[in-house]
Amino acid sequence: MLKIILPTIMMLPTMWLSKTHMMWINTMTCSLLISIFTLMMLYLPNNSCNLSLNFFSDPLTSPLLMLTAWLLPLMILATQQHLHNNSAPRKKLYISMLVFLQISLIMTFSATELILFYILFETTLIPTLIIITRWGYQPERLNAGSYFLFYTLAGSLPLLITLLHYFSSLGSLNILTMTINTKEMMLSWTNNIMWLGCMMAFMVKMPLYGLHLWLPKAHVEAPIAGSMVLAAILLKLGSYGMMRVTPMLNPLTEKMSYPFIVLSLWGMVMTSSICLRQADLKSLIAYSSVSHMALVILAILIQTPWSLTGAMILMIAHGLTSSLLFCLANSNYERVHSRTMMFTRGLQALFPLLALWWLLANLTNLALPPTINLMGELLTILASFSWSNFTIMFTGFNMLITALYSLHMFTSTQRGPLTYSTSNVKPLFTRENTLMLMHMAPILLLTLNPKTIMCLTP
Amino acid sequence: MLPRVLSLGVRRGPLTRRPGTLRGGFSLDWEEKLSEIKKKIQSVLPGTSLHPLYDSSHLPPDHSDVVIVGGGVLGLSVAYWLKKLEKQRGALRVLVVERDLTYSQASSALSLGGIHQQFSLPENIHLSLFSASFLRNINEHLAVVDAPPLDLQFNPLGYLWLASEKDAAAMENNVKVQRQEGAKVCLMSPDQLRNKFPWINTEGVALASYGMEDEGWFDPWCLLQGLRRKVQSMGVLFCQGEVTRESELVKMDNSVEYQPVECALVINAAGAWSAQIAALAGIGKGPPDTLQGTKLPVEPRKRYVYVWHCPQGPGLESPLVADTSGTYFRREGLGSNYLGGRSPTEEEEPDPENLEVDHDFFQDKVWPHLAQRVPAFETLKVQNAWAGYYDYNTFDQNGVVGPHPLVVNMFFATGFSGHGLQQAPGVGRAVAEMILEGRFQTINLDSFLFSRFYLGEKIQEDNII
Repeated sequence: MLKIILPTIMMLPTMWLSKTHMMWINTMTCSLLISIFTLMMLYLPNNSCNLSLNFFSDPLTSPLLMLTAWLLPLMILATQQHLHNNSAPRKKLYISMLVFLQISLIMTFSATELILFYILFETTLIPTLIIITRWGYQPERLNAGSYFLFYTLAGSLPLLITLLHYFSSLGSLNILTMTINTKEMMLSWTNNIMWLGCMMAFMVKMPLYGLHLWLPKAHVEAPIAGSMVLAAILLKLGSYGMMRVTPMLNPLTEKMSYPFIVLSLWGMVMTSSICLRQADLKSLIAYSSVSHMALVILAILIQTPWSLTGAMILMIAHGLTSSLLFCLANSNYERVHSRTMMFTRGLQALFPLLALWWLLANLTNLALPPTINLMGELLTILASFSWSNFTIMFTGFNMLITALYSLHMFTSTQRGPLTYSTSNVKPLFTRENTLMLMHMAPILLLTLNPKTIMCLTP
Repeated sequence: MLPRVLSLGVRRGPLTRRPGTLRGGFSLDWEEKLSEIKKKIQSVLPGTSLHPLYDSSHLPPDHSDVVIVGGGVLGLSVAYWLKKLEKQRGALRVLVVERDLTYSQASSALSLGGIHQQFSLPENIHLSLFSASFLRNINEHLAVVDAPPLDLQFNPLGYLWLASEKDAAAMENNVKVQRQEGAKVCLMSPDQLRNKFPWINTEGVALASYGMEDEGWFDPWCLLQGLRRKVQSMGVLFCQGEVTRESELVKMDNSVEYQPVECALVINAAGAWSAQIAALAGIGKGPPDTLQGTKLPVEPRKRYVYVWHCPQGPGLESPLVADTSGTYFRREGLGSNYLGGRSPTEEEEPDPENLEVDHDFFQDKVWPHLAQRVPAFETLKVQNAWAGYYDYNTFDQNGVVGPHPLVVNMFFATGFSGHGLQQAPGVGRAVAEMILEGRFQTINLDSFLFSRFYLGEKIQEDNII
């Protein structure tokens, strides 16, 4: 693991000491090389690597680590345009925030000890908050940053207390020994509250439907790299945490998870429906994220092998797709300076290649077979159907509405008559095309070999 | 950051001492101090204003989807229709920038307030008809919860255009077109004129056209305030400022503070000053005789309006009479007061530098014609006079509506040369449709686009006063 963490830490001096014209190139190259290292982890025997006391890798963490490492070069590609007018130290500061976030994320996903995981989980909040409030676009970003920070903090403080209590009662919170080192949690008031304390932090982060208020704000007000990292990785922190913590909480999960399963089913349908009525493109993508994550929450709370596999695949697929959608929305925004969907219509006539990326992004968003999005949703829906036949009504309805709003997003931005005021925008740059390709290629390649991310032996 | 703080030191901040208050003492305006302190605290709390050091709530937002330059009746009408026709509520963020919120020089406020459908161009007729039906139902269109209804004081007394022998044929043609498009206009011979309006001297009049419905005059200030109230309730942001430099952003000057506003579309509804805004966007910067070099041919022209008192005057049933000489007058109120004036010829054009009234113009150029047409006006007494600007389109005296062919995110709604107020609702709707749908839907204003200046296609309107 050190071969990934140390180079990421050293990216900071690399970037600060590089010349201004080499800054972007250096950071891109470094981050791409680091992501190649993470690829090696996916192909280990047994898919686990336990060479250290503090950091390890596992079929559950390696796809997420891969995603995190892959996303950093993409974020750097995406921010080049809007940081154009800033001075060099500002740009370097921005990339430092991204790298700092990356370090904490890599360490979070590979931590062995739950307390270390918690500390790094909280650490990821700081650079994200700075990115949203300092480099966001509108005055509402202060509000968005406050919502983001306080929702997550309020949710995770009980988690700290619960984890410390567990540490004192179990002796060790090491993930590798957790399956044999737990006590059974029987139904009692204390244990209920402990369960809630553990899970609420991750529910807020996912986000669960009732606690999702921070997400549309934060996603919309964040700059592109902020949106990408939020949608792709930070939401998955919640689900990763849930999957790590639930082995400690048996058999209470079967009883306590019921209201949250209901909330996530209902939230899926509700947030998808809100997407149909959105006029702001980024807001639409943010609500679609909530909807997909509700499916992941459902999968994790049911706790069957198929559903956990489905959750994993969904996480990776949604990460890549959502990030791609945000990049596309950003390319629109940079040209027209407005996020409203009605100002950029009929773009297929002007930019056919961009229309291809939009089409692929929207098709993967609506879980078109045989993409990995569909694999994840299929496994989850099957597992939840076994859990209770009635859930098929919600999940089926959600798939329908997801298809509706994804196609609505596509047709309103690409098809139809061209708006007059976009007729002199510049076509997609090579950099942006590369960005879209680098999002799409993993999705398409994983479609061919989904067992790498399937987490079959956690 | 630093220059902004310095400039703040120059202007009066909320905590400077005012004369008459003792240090630490209880001053009489305790309420005002308290609200100022509250405002200051609120601006420091996170989540509200942008700058933690001082209150910036009077500044416009950083981003807006549409910025409308000019808060007169045309700008507000565009704002109203944009918000009315947007597909989802709150989809568009609109900002109206107005330099002078007292409207002291705005053409909308100083206008005579007349509306008529007696134009020669079908588009103009349609626009006025649309506006007339809008004004008829104004309390349905511009209703705001808990606010009193608007009283437009619409006097439906019609317009009476007089034509001499040489203009009679053209007037007859025009009336035919007007009736085809749905305006209710009738032609009158001199005898009929004398019958209906005994106070007219029909010497030199061969034909007259009289509008019988949807024509008259109303209170433009009421329309302005009604639109403003409604538009604010729909969520349009207002800002007092002046648009100065522009690249793709709009910067505004407000005392010495400026705030760049990033926007997707700019609508030029600046009336008499539209040419400056267009020049900021780079319209007209190029070799002459090219599309880039075509400037926006709108310039301010000063027009005088005189108010006089004449007890023996025409009485309650007098329409707005437009004489063969270009002089016009209408009744004002119920106390035998009349408003009127005359458009000067090209040679007599007054200097549009300021809004000073030239009373000699009335003595020499207006009164003789008035007295000739209405003998009772020989004994009038001028009470008052004011001057206002026409946003005069020197090309063909008709409005410019729609996008610019090259600067694709600037839309025009200006240059109406004196009949902007009466066409404002229709034009606002047309611009909103152009933005939201991509083409004109209700009234086809394709002939009013900017490209006609480059192509040289004049759409001349005959009945302009």
